[in-house]
Amino acid sequence: MIDVIRETQLPVLAVLLLLAAVGKTAVRPSGAEGPMSLLPARVRRPAALATAGVEAAFAVLLVAAAGPLGDAARAGTAALFGVAVLALLRLRRRDPEQGCGCFGGLSSTPVGWRTIARAGLLAAAAAAALGLPVSGLAVATGFTATHAAVLAVELAVLGVLSPELVEIPRRVRHRVPCELREVPLSRTLRRLYASDVWHMNAEVVTTAEPVDVWRQECLRFVRFGGRRQDRAVDVVFAVPMDGRPPVVRALIVDVETGVPVASFGAVADPPRPRRAPEGETADSGRRPAPYEVV
Amino acid sequence: MAVDVQARRRLTAALLGREAPPEPDAAADPVERVTRGVLLDIGPHMLSMATPKGEERFVFADSTTFWHGREVCHTDLRPGQDVVVRSHPANRWVVERLWADLARVTGVIAERTEDTLVVDTGHDRPRVTATVPYRASGRMGVRHPRLEPGYLFDAVGIWRDGEVQALIPVTSQPDYPVSRIPARPPVERYRETVSGTATWYDPALGKNTHVNPLATAVGAAYPALDGELDCGPDCDRHTTCAALPLLSIGARLRLRNDCTGRSAVVPVTACASATSRFCDRCRACASEGRGRIAQLTLLSFIGLGGSPEAGCFNATLTVG
Repeated sequence: MIDVIRETQLPVLAVLLLLAAVGKTAVRPSGAEGPMSLLPARVRRPAALATAGVEAAFAVLLVAAAGPLGDAARAGTAALFGVAVLALLRLRRRDPEQGCGCFGGLSSTPVGWRTIARAGLLAAAAAAALGLPVSGLAVATGFTATHAAVLAVELAVLGVLSPELVEIPRRVRHRVPCELREVPLSRTLRRLYASDVWHMNAEVVTTAEPVDVWRQECLRFVRFGGRRQDRAVDVVFAVPMDGRPPVVRALIVDVETGVPVASFGAVADPPRPRRAPEGETADSGRRPAPYEVV
Repeated sequence: MAVDVQARRRLTAALLGREAPPEPDAAADPVERVTRGVLLDIGPHMLSMATPKGEERFVFADSTTFWHGREVCHTDLRPGQDVVVRSHPANRWVVERLWADLARVTGVIAERTEDTLVVDTGHDRPRVTATVPYRASGRMGVRHPRLEPGYLFDAVGIWRDGEVQALIPVTSQPDYPVSRIPARPPVERYRETVSGTATWYDPALGKNTHVNPLATAVGAAYPALDGELDCGPDCDRHTTCAALPLLSIGARLRLRNDCTGRSAVVPVTACASATSRFCDRCRACASEGRGRIAQLTLLSFIGLGGSPEAGCFNATLTVG
């Protein structure tokens, strides 16, 4: 039974280390978080990425390696969590409001006894696995009902010790309002190029790249140069940050006169439904886009 | 990518229709009663100054007040000084209050040598050298106890030989460096009106104010410009303490001075990355809003009823 408990630690540790590495890499903390805040500001992010790299390497070795290399990985993991316990104790004294940063920005709850106990438990788990003749992969392939029972108990204990389990659903339920959300330009352009309104106007657009892009709360405006009926026009798209599929609007404006000559998508002003001329409403058929010639 | 502000406004209005941002009200020009220029001559009853419109003369009333680092008499002012005049509400040619050589430095302390500070005022502005004279060091020490690199600094003073003499601290400095500014708590619901603090800056840095168009510019630097586009690749702004919507250069804000009730529509003309790090509360009048929501140009600030030597007023911002 003792050996089963020791063996179960290998896949558990490997998965947790991998999740921690992904969390540190993908979910950047919005402020200085975790023991990294004990370091100078300029080295915090590189140090966090380096830690993630070490965690990922240990995760791979815990799964793949046995013998002396496997024992080295287990000893390294135990040392890593041991250092984490000391760093968290120091962090808690110095800045009680800081999150542990264990899973990057997801670990924003102030460091408490649960987080410290979790690191201590994982250090003990890694130390317990020292000397096992098998690799994590071998344990996973030969998983028995006893292993599963031990795993269930251990996951329950780790769940109690993990404040992140509250943070993740909260983040899913409450997204940052679109007016405040930082969105990369590349994502906005992807949404635009996938829209029906873009396909309707792609032939009018003559510039490969946007001439100007600007933001107004939930909308990004993307302006292209174009030609329509032998006249130079500005083609402007309003791309929302939210919505699936996004309701993109477009406006074609004569460059010389400044007069809008056509608008596509949801009309903002008092709606004046009007039948579009033949040939100008290349509709997708799935979602008819309101069309208006001004 | 060139910024054509007029085209942005025109196209935004055409696309959004009724949802478009407000247009400025010509009848409520915020800087109607504010004049800036270089002092040419001053006597007991009147002054003349060079302004972008040419030479203009103003007369004094018994209630006229003068400021040059502190309340002064007209005899303390000298030709050649940069002056800002706020006219009497009933008569544009009567001076209600005059400020001379007004300066402000807002940002992060980059260097310190004895009583001289070099302050980083944002990625798109030059660093400013400020000295704290002995007579101001006491009150400066109360509200800015850490004059060390990495800490915030915000003070009003006067220009002297190309440097700012920092005389009046206009905020209470946080006791942590900018690298440890806490993250904004999660915002679960967006509100179209945001209460907070409006401050001011001088885009002309007090230079050639009679010919420099920046000296009389109307508008506001905004601390929540869209990062990737308008703030630029060197953008050093922090997520603002107040829940401000992301906007671009050319957007329009309706700002109300909560202390006087005066409001105006002002365009966003620059990035206010330095103010994005402040999460202070203005004590000009009763208001709970925390964080800086706009950094008005000097003339817009005075035009909206602000006192530059106080540094701020409580404001409510509405977008769209």
